[in-house]
Amino acid sequence: MHAIYNFVSGPLAWVAFILFFGGILYQLISRAIMAKKKDAFIYEYWSFYHAFRSILHWIFPFASTNSRNRPVLSVVTFIFHICIFVAPIFLFAHITLINEAFNVSWWFLPDGVADIMTLLVIGACIFFLIRRLTQPDVKFLSNAWDYVLLALVAAPFVTGYWAYHQWPGNQLVTILHMLSAEILLAIIPFTKLNHMFLFFFTRGYMGSEFGAVRFARDW
Amino acid sequence: MNDEAAVDKNKIYDEGIEKGAEKLTPEIIQNVYRKMVDAEGGARLKTYVETCVSCGLCSEACHFYLSNDKDPRFSPAGKVKQTMAVLMKKKGRVSVDFMKRASEIASTECNLCKRCAMYCPFGLDVAYVMLFVRRLCHKLGISPQYIQDTAHSHSVTYNQMWVKEDEWVDSLQWQEEEAQEEIEGLRIPIEKEGADFMYSVIGPEPKFRAQLIYQAAVIFNAAGLNWTMPATPGWDNSDMAMYTGDNEIMARTKRLHFETAMRLKVKRIVMGECGHAFRSIYDMGNRALGWRMPPVEVTHSIEFFYELLKAGKIKIAQKYQPTVTIHDPCNVIRGRGLHEMLRYVVHAICENVEEMHPNREHNFCCAAGGGVINCGPPWKMKRVDGNKVKAQQLFDAKSRGAETCVAPCHNCHGGLEDIIHHNEIGMDLKFLGDIIYEVMEKPESVL
Amino acid sequence: MRKNILFIGVLLGVLSLAAFSAYSQEDIEFVEDSAFTDNMRPLPAFKHDEHNEMAGLECNECHHVYDDDGNLVEDESSEDQECSECHGAEGDEYPMELVRRYHLNCRGCHLSEKAGPVACGECHAKAP
Repeated sequence: MHAIYNFVSGPLAWVAFILFFGGILYQLISRAIMAKKKDAFIYEYWSFYHAFRSILHWIFPFASTNSRNRPVLSVVTFIFHICIFVAPIFLFAHITLINEAFNVSWWFLPDGVADIMTLLVIGACIFFLIRRLTQPDVKFLSNAWDYVLLALVAAPFVTGYWAYHQWPGNQLVTILHMLSAEILLAIIPFTKLNHMFLFFFTRGYMGSEFGAVRFARDW
Repeated sequence: MNDEAAVDKNKIYDEGIEKGAEKLTPEIIQNVYRKMVDAEGGARLKTYVETCVSCGLCSEACHFYLSNDKDPRFSPAGKVKQTMAVLMKKKGRVSVDFMKRASEIASTECNLCKRCAMYCPFGLDVAYVMLFVRRLCHKLGISPQYIQDTAHSHSVTYNQMWVKEDEWVDSLQWQEEEAQEEIEGLRIPIEKEGADFMYSVIGPEPKFRAQLIYQAAVIFNAAGLNWTMPATPGWDNSDMAMYTGDNEIMARTKRLHFETAMRLKVKRIVMGECGHAFRSIYDMGNRALGWRMPPVEVTHSIEFFYELLKAGKIKIAQKYQPTVTIHDPCNVIRGRGLHEMLRYVVHAICENVEEMHPNREHNFCCAAGGGVINCGPPWKMKRVDGNKVKAQQLFDAKSRGAETCVAPCHNCHGGLEDIIHHNEIGMDLKFLGDIIYEVMEKPESVL
Repeated sequence: MRKNILFIGVLLGVLSLAAFSAYSQEDIEFVEDSAFTDNMRPLPAFKHDEHNEMAGLECNECHHVYDDDGNLVEDESSEDQECSECHGAEGDEYPMELVRRYHLNCRGCHLSEKAGPVACGECHAKAP
């Protein structure tokens, strides 16, 4: 078990982070080059003011018409996205591990707060799952991958919660926790989870085109 | 897919799609697909198709989805899922039947109105993807017959309706003569170099709606404007090649249009009340030619009437009395943000205005635009039944007193007319020009 | 899977046995340091003598002393001091540096020796 722990917390973590950051860079650069070649007008029409205007309208709940039309989903989605970033990054246990490895640390959340945020993420994932299974249009749009991705997103939070509360199999679950998070990080750039960074470009471009060329709102 | 059979039962026969498909094999499809994606499938296509998280937030943006009992196949992302997503996943290795259905979806179940882009949190542009599918269908020769015929007309005559050069000039002179009986000395100045603007219209105006040219002439003459219309091909600003995905013909057509304006040395192009033509000149045709913005300034009628009314160049004798409601056409509202100017104009010429809801950028499409009405009679009922939400909108406005619907777009007119008749809504449908002509102060002579 | 369940069972048995026996000793039973005024996690159970006997540790491997040049002083140890006296208890709101030192000392050794607990909950186990 030590060998597995060492492997998962060491080399595999490096692989995951390299794939994550490398993947993001690869996707952004390859798309930038492809856009230059085949969609050159993106560069022509891009307007930072209008891009940010649009991004801001879509990042906050109730700032767009569609968001106001679906208050429950808007709130769940907003909380989900905040927690999925804030909880892991500002978790004491994670910062401690990073501090041990790299001697850097930063502000962390009280464990109780992180615990609630984790539950919120898990709850949101369950909400998304139910929505995917019960809403006909979403069900139609979903393929197996959508469910797998949802499970992969939930996995680190479920295992993290499990490990923190020291339920049975805590050591194994700690390893699974690291492993699932590594898988998640590694696939983000190469699946539709890449909306994590592409969102800013798709929304930004639509905002630019609507705002600077069409003189219309896009929210 | 239990209701696949239901779809088959209602299957619509389109000669363009069927005959074209007879010549196809999966190998041809794959070849054409690969070549096209290699050459044109860029970062946008890849991102729009692959990054969609299938959240379904676009569904309720679409009038087809809402009007077909929320059938998921009509949700914008659902249309991508049934077409481009499969093509990309299989790298073009799809059956002929698949492509026939793809052509049907892209050409007759999406108006490219971009309302969904305003409902997608990521701003993914389904209209762009559908247009990509249409272009693939164009390259495969399986575009719906009627719209393909129109594209052929653009290719041969540079106008949408097979109007011959002499017929065009004849039509203008005929309208001029007619209008002279009302206003002495009225002119439709043809080929006047150095005029302030070139007035351009779509092919159907001289063909079916010549009174619109008449009315425009009266308005421009009454306002004492320095204008002209060309005698040569290039007068038509419409563009169905854009909607079949025939970008080459689109570019050729637009280039001639711009060059005609340049030859006449006009300061700008003012165009009639047409939405798709505006999209072609202001958005897509210019891009295809490599122009960031149109090389000649382009003003849509809504904006032009706004200018004339604001400057007091046309005076209103008595405002239009029946209560009107306003239909916001996608290509000039979402496409150019003219909604407030449109309201200024409507309020300036009409006494009572009842808004439709939702309105402005959020207005529901007419289900005729994006070339769908141009796919002709085989698809008519699909589009009329596919827009019950619009009928509902119109009914609502009527229940609040609206008797007339103002729609400053030709395609919208066609679509709304069918919806109004089919649902027996009993509402008049008018262009801005119709009402302005009716309510303005007209001189007896401009000599 | 069955292997895992077996493993978890055995582990649980060992852990609870260890925790139980910890109470029977009057010796050092937990890692404690007065610099941690506000414990975020349960104190790590640590039977000092038993652990060191089993691991065969010299006192100054943990209770080390360094001279001014930063060299380890052989034959000297610092049992009379708390770790926090040298290792960065000052500064931050929370003594992160001290946490780091403890972890590197205990967990670091467990990792390199491939023996002893390494996952968070294994040391910071809640009282059974």
